[in-house]
Amino acid sequence: MAERGIGRRPEHLAAVPGPDRAPDAGELLTAVARGDEAAFGKLYDLVAPRVYGLIRRVLRDPAQAEEVAQEVLVEVWRSAAQFDPGRGSPTAWVFTIAHRRAVDRVRAEQAAANRTIRAGAAAIDTPYDVVADEVAVRLEQRQVRHCLHQLTDLQRQAVTLAYYQGHSYPDVAKLLGAPLPTVKTRMRDGLIRLRDCLAAGVTA
Amino acid sequence: MTADIHALVGAYALDAVDDLERAAFERHLRECEACRLEADELRAASARLADGAWSVPPPRLRDNVLAAIATTRQLPPSGPVRTPAPATRPGASRRLRLAVAAAVVVAAGAAGTAVYAVQDQRVRHERTLAEAARASEARVRAVLAAPDLVLREQRLNSGGRVTVASSRLHDAGVIMLTATGAPPSGRVYQLWTIRAGTPASAGALGEGQAASVQIVDGLPDSSAVGVTVEPAPGSSAPTAPLDALVKLT
Repeated sequence: MAERGIGRRPEHLAAVPGPDRAPDAGELLTAVARGDEAAFGKLYDLVAPRVYGLIRRVLRDPAQAEEVAQEVLVEVWRSAAQFDPGRGSPTAWVFTIAHRRAVDRVRAEQAAANRTIRAGAAAIDTPYDVVADEVAVRLEQRQVRHCLHQLTDLQRQAVTLAYYQGHSYPDVAKLLGAPLPTVKTRMRDGLIRLRDCLAAGVTA
Repeated sequence: MTADIHALVGAYALDAVDDLERAAFERHLRECEACRLEADELRAASARLADGAWSVPPPRLRDNVLAAIATTRQLPPSGPVRTPAPATRPGASRRLRLAVAAAVVVAAGAAGTAVYAVQDQRVRHERTLAEAARASEARVRAVLAAPDLVLREQRLNSGGRVTVASSRLHDAGVIMLTATGAPPSGRVYQLWTIRAGTPASAGALGEGQAASVQIVDGLPDSSAVGVTVEPAPGSSAPTAPLDALVKLT
């Protein structure tokens, strides 16, 4: 494959820039849109651990996560030209595709297996702690953790149950024993607070 | 309605909405620039949560993905298209389908299932069934794309929910039932439209079925949509207490 011959520079593998401010994600995606496979290899290195990690967190099953991650990353290649910089960062675009696919898979399985959400209820206190453990080392992860801390408990639970466990808002309402309108509101103001905190920058 | 649906912006950004809601919300975004801005920003914020889920993928994933892209054709840029290509060009129709597909594909797939559920008892011929499913898919698609679509939703007492999307322009509506589980053996979910206080059956699900997408003509003239659990294969009038009632007026 072409990118093998080009010799990836080690700093690409080691680089841990701010995820949305990754210096080259946009340039890489532009090159990928033109069919540049070497650029795609670099983009892969930049986003794959978060794509895979996110999907795995939502699906729980590593084998399925690998399968869905592959679909997502190939989709990034396929539709790179359709990325619209006016609507967000390149990495946000990638993670949005990844999250959506993971959630679709979870819902399809829930319907197929006719599963109740009881299993999720037991995990209600864990997602954030598990997340907190995993994120400890990395700067941008600390920032997310720090910002999740700025939310009220209900905001944080509503946001993490939906995002990391793929629950719909009515399921989140059931899990939290909260009315639907409250959950909708908490998701919205929770994300607003998260957005403002992340924008405020490096207060990790 | 606009303010009402915009309350979903957080749930939308977290992918915590179903396909009907997503379709309705994205139509709302097309009509409201400020709303779209907020939705984009909240999406960006939620995408940052991926940072919290970092995990090293198996090394073979890289090889597999790179091998796959080497044989995967890329899509052209989307956005403002120069001139509409002649409809006869296969590439053009494919692009058009792709553009429309996202919001519709899952709902359409579910519609096929529902048609099967509702018509299975009556229509045995496979080809007829397939044609009916295709026609229904197209109608569901058309109704969901209506500019005047109104969405209402209620929980089922038995667990799950029923969503009703109706459009006066199309003089039709779509009832989407998503139950937590199918009723006990020998019993089925049945949908009712209520007009002038009188319920009329809008179709019963098959035994063991917990989800359905059903298109109903003239739905905007009904005052409510009801759901009951009836003895299989359904009743001519409700015999059980309402499992959910969605008021339309």
